[in-house]
This record gives sequence, C-alpha cells and structure tokens, in this order.
Amino acid sequence: MSLAPSFLQQSLPLGDLLDLRAFADVCQSFAELYRVGLKVFDESGNKLVDVKVGNADFCGYIWQKAAGREQCVATVGRVKSEAVPEEPRPVAVHCFSGCHYVVQPVMYEGDAIGRVVFGPFVPDELTALPASLTSIAPDFDVALAAGYMQKIRRVPQATAEKILKHFMDLLDVMVFTGHKNIIAAKLHIEAVQESFRELAEKNKQLEESYARLKELDRLKSNFLATMSHELRTPLTSVIGYSEMMLEGLGGPLTAEQREYLGIIMEKGENLLQLITSILDISKIEAGRVRLVLSEVDVGQLLRDAVATILPLARKKGLKVTCEPGGAPRLQADREKLRQCLVNLASNAVKFTPAGGTLAVSSRTLPDERVALDVADTGIGISDEHLSRVFDVFYQVDGSTTREYGGAGLGLAIVKSFVEAHGGEVAVASRAGQGSTFSVILPVRPRLEPAVTPVDPTPAVGPRTP
Amino acid sequence: MVQLNNEAREIAVKVVYYGPALSGKTTNLQALYQKIDPAVRGRLMTLDTKDDRTLFFDMMPVFFRTASGVKVKLKLYTVPGQVIHESTRRIVLQGTDAIAFVADSRRSEAASTLAYWNNMLKNMEANGLDPQAVPIVIQLNKKDLPEARGEEDLADLRRVVQSPVVPAVAIRGEGVVETFWTLLSLCYRNLDRTLRLADHWQLGEQEFLSRIFDHVDRRGTRLPGGEAGPR
Repeated sequence: MSLAPSFLQQSLPLGDLLDLRAFADVCQSFAELYRVGLKVFDESGNKLVDVKVGNADFCGYIWQKAAGREQCVATVGRVKSEAVPEEPRPVAVHCFSGCHYVVQPVMYEGDAIGRVVFGPFVPDELTALPASLTSIAPDFDVALAAGYMQKIRRVPQATAEKILKHFMDLLDVMVFTGHKNIIAAKLHIEAVQESFRELAEKNKQLEESYARLKELDRLKSNFLATMSHELRTPLTSVIGYSEMMLEGLGGPLTAEQREYLGIIMEKGENLLQLITSILDISKIEAGRVRLVLSEVDVGQLLRDAVATILPLARKKGLKVTCEPGGAPRLQADREKLRQCLVNLASNAVKFTPAGGTLAVSSRTLPDERVALDVADTGIGISDEHLSRVFDVFYQVDGSTTREYGGAGLGLAIVKSFVEAHGGEVAVASRAGQGSTFSVILPVRPRLEPAVTPVDPTPAVGPRTP
Repeated sequence: MVQLNNEAREIAVKVVYYGPALSGKTTNLQALYQKIDPAVRGRLMTLDTKDDRTLFFDMMPVFFRTASGVKVKLKLYTVPGQVIHESTRRIVLQGTDAIAFVADSRRSEAASTLAYWNNMLKNMEANGLDPQAVPIVIQLNKKDLPEARGEEDLADLRRVVQSPVVPAVAIRGEGVVETFWTLLSLCYRNLDRTLRLADHWQLGEQEFLSRIFDHVDRRGTRLPGGEAGPR
C-alpha cells in the first residue's frame, strides 16, 4: 500500500493562493487611495494585477518617441525581472524619465513567490525633467511632458516605501489566508479520499472472504447432498432385506428374531427419514428445489398427513382432530406440502405430552389465500426462541442432554418449501400451553410451473452473525 | 522524503510532531513559534475548528540560506491526535524526514501512548517509511504533573526504544528547544548519510544547526551555546 503524493509536498504559485478578481479590486482601491500605480507579478513573471494611476499621458507621450519607447521597455523589463535580494525589503528602480518605482519580492515561507511593483511616482527631490528624458528626441516638448508629469503623484521615496510596506503586510495576510484555505480544502479532500481508499480496501477484503465463505457453504451443501445420496442407497438395502426376512423369504423366524428385525427396520426407517431431510435441505441450500405443481385437495392433504402420524400419536396417548374446512383446491406441489404438514404434525406429537390434543385444520383467508394450521397443547416455545425456530439446525434445547431428538431440519424444510410456493409460515406459541404453526399459501402461486428453481436463502432464515 | 532541487539549490525537509490527542504537539509548535526569530520562520498555521482541537494539523515553516547559497526549508507539522483523523495523520506523515513523538508522561496515559506509538509505526509502514531509518525523538511531556513517570521509568524506556528521550513541560516551553535540537541534529546526520550534505552541499552539521538555533531564544535551555546536542 502506498499513498499518492500529497499536495502538502507541492508549492503553489502566487496566483493560486489569491482570489485574483478580489485581489485586483483591493489593488485598484489601494492604488487609487495613494494615486500610485501597482503591479503584481508571480514568480515566473506572469502579471497578475496591473493598475495604472496618473501616468497614462506622461508615459504615452514618451512612447511616441522611438528612443523613449526603447528605454521604456527597458525600464519595464527591469522592474519586472531585475534580480532583487530575497528579502522583505523594497528596492528602488529609477526610470530614465526621472520617475521612480519601488519593487519588493513577495516572500512566503522563505521563498520569493512573486514581486510587487509600486510606481511610477515622482520623487520629492525631482525639480526638473532630467536630461536622460529631454534628450530622447529633438522635438521633445519639455513643457508638455512637465505638464503630464503633474498628473503623477509626487511623493518622497521613504513615504513610497512605507506605503509599499503597508501593502506587503496586507498581501502577506492574504497569501497566508489563501494558503490556509487551500490546505484546509485540499487536505479535507485528501483525507476523504484516503478514508475512501481505506474503506474500499477493507470492503474488498470482506467481499473476498464472503465469496470464500459462500464457496465453502456451497461445497458443504454439495457434500451433504452427495453423502446423503450415498448413505441412502445401502440403507435402502438394509431395510429391504430386513423386510424380506420378516416376510419369511429367508426361512422361518423365531419370535425374538422377528422382534429384532422389527427394530432394525424401524430404526432404519428413522435413519432414512433423517437422511432424506438432510438431502432436502442441502438441495434447498444448493438452490436445486423444483416444484411440481398440480391441483391439490386440501382436505385430502390434511387427512393424508394425519393418517401418517396417527399411529405415533395414538401410541403416545394424544387426541388428534382433523377439520379440513371448506378450503378450495390449491395449485401446489402435493408431495412437498404433504411433507410440510407431516413435519409440523410430527413435531406436535413429539413435543406434546400424553393426554394432549393435536388439531389439524384449514382456513380460507382473504386475497385468495389458505392457511393450514397445526395446533398442539404441548410444551410451547418461549419468545426468545420463537423467531429462530425456522432456522436450519436450530434447536430450542441445544444441549447434548436434551430431552427431544431431531436434527433441526424439519421446520427449515417447511419454511423453504412454503416460501417456494410464494407462501409464508407463522407460529404462535406460549411456553407450557402449546403452539400453533400455520402454513399460509396462495391458492394460485405466481410461479413458472414445474421448473422454478428456489432461492436457497429463505431456507437459511435470518442468520445471526 | 527530503526534496532536493539541484538547480535551485534547495533542500526541503519535513519534520512531524506525532502523538496522542492532548499530548502537547501543538503546544510544542506554539512554543517554538514564540522562541524562533521571525527572520527564519513563517507564520504558524493552525487548521482547527471551535469544537475540535486540531481538527487537521499545524504547520510552521523554518528556513535559512547557507554560506554556500543553499536554501534549506524545514516544515514542521503536527498530526491530529484524535483517533478519527487517522487518514489525515497518514497524509501528514507522508515523506517525513524526522519525527518528534510527543508523549504524555503521566502513568495513566501510558496505554494510549503505546497505542499511538504502534499507530505511528503502522502509518509509517503505510507510507513506505522505515522506522529504523527515520530519526525519531521521544518527548516525555508534562513532567511537572504529579503523576508523571520518574527518572527510573525513563531508564526503563531508554532500554526498550533506541530513540533519544527528552523530558519536557511544553506548556512552559521547557524541553521544547532541546527536543527540536535533538531532532534536527539526528535529522541532519541521517540526511548527511543519505545525501552527503557536507560533501555535495557544503552544509555541515554545525552550520545546519546554528543557522536555526542562532535565531532561537535558548535562555533557560540545557543547550550549551550551540556547540553540541544536549547530551
């Protein structure tokens, strides 16, 4: 990392330190006050200000004569560029016409950054036009020239130098103030640019690490999907062969063998279910979910789901009701919706103690929507967990000694599938009194039929950093 | 980095006063402004606002011409101490030839002093400056306060950092000139090593220092008549 060179390292020409228009006004009024001309040059000899007072006729007359013109140019050259010591002191420059100038370098931070020329003025001691002027041409009209000279201010040399010093003091303040303003403004800009550069660099780093994380996340999902698939294949065989043995295809079995095989099958089914959930969620996260839409009878859907969990519920001693209501037929992916309801109902069974009630029902909502509710009288969910129960792998009781099993995938899958339909999930619960999970679906999802890829992000839910 | 202009026979040197907020950087420059003859220095430019101390920074030029006609221009800067002005600090530090690190010597300020020391090293690195190559003088300021660290602590510090340590009470002007002297002396030696100031520019250390310090009010300082450094 290296910074661009700061302007602090550069030196500025006089013209950049001053507001030239305003400065010209100041010079104008100053020159008029003292009735003496004023010129300001920068270091390279560029004329920044030129105010002429009183000398136009006099100099104009001299200019008409060839020799006068020549010497005038020489004088102008001297006041403009004759070397003067780099010190804040005035230097007198004498014109062949008898007039004087005082010249002083503009010193700033030890450097001469320009010069001020004050004049011409007529020195107090000048009584008659000098020979150097009157001899420039044979037809030189001394009386006329002397008359013109009357219009030029007569002032003692010392006074002129004092006036110039006063002007130099003013100019010094103006230059300092101008420099200060420029530095303040430019440094501000440089500081902002530098902050921006720094932020942009940090942003880039963050983006890179975000991209890396995303790639890792994708790899993880891929791995899960592949592994789940690879696990499922042998497991299907385990279950299948157990079933074949149970059916007696391998010969007669003792009661004990049948019991053991039953347990192998049951646990195998549990494992298969879990693996299927993992496969689902990894598909969702990899964005590979496809909906297969068809006309779905809501009543039938609810009854199917209830039938699936009924044996489990009875075994646990729960009362189960199913009220399909008058819900219309839905355009939806039947298998995925069934899985949603089964997941919700299984959770309800899992978290409701013996003697409790489990109710599955549907409601018709405004705006062509339908709500499918799964309510229980179970242990409920406290407020702090309520907002996160749909997150992947989230468990209300995350401890290793937790009472209830599960991978934390069921609700995340429900949420993803429902959102894939353009619907939403909701939950209302009170700890100790039970929970109601609702799936709210549009009757006709606004989707491209059958092949809509699902945005994987909803499955993840609002992740906390 | 020092700027050389062979044609104009000019050397521009940059000196930065670095340190935490309220450690006394601006006070140092103000004291120098008072003590240095206007003939060799410009105005002290302070860019600040009513609400914030040293919003940007301070700057003061010091300049002289050597016997051989070389113009030497030093610019003294302070960096803004407030944490939020990090980018300004980095910009001001750019191309610096010597650093005075102004530290509040009170025990309670030790942690923030260390943080700014590290911040300075980091910003030097960002500017491509080698902390080993740039002369640094540490000023332990506010020695008059009851909480200030004593001499035994200083001995401690001197073992840890190689930089010279100069005690000061900048608000009373004590130690300010000594710090400046030590800094410029180190700065000269460093520039002489890299640029051969004595050989190529006919500028020896004694002339370099005396051209400035002959114009500095040294009453009450521990500087021996401008012959050598304070220790």
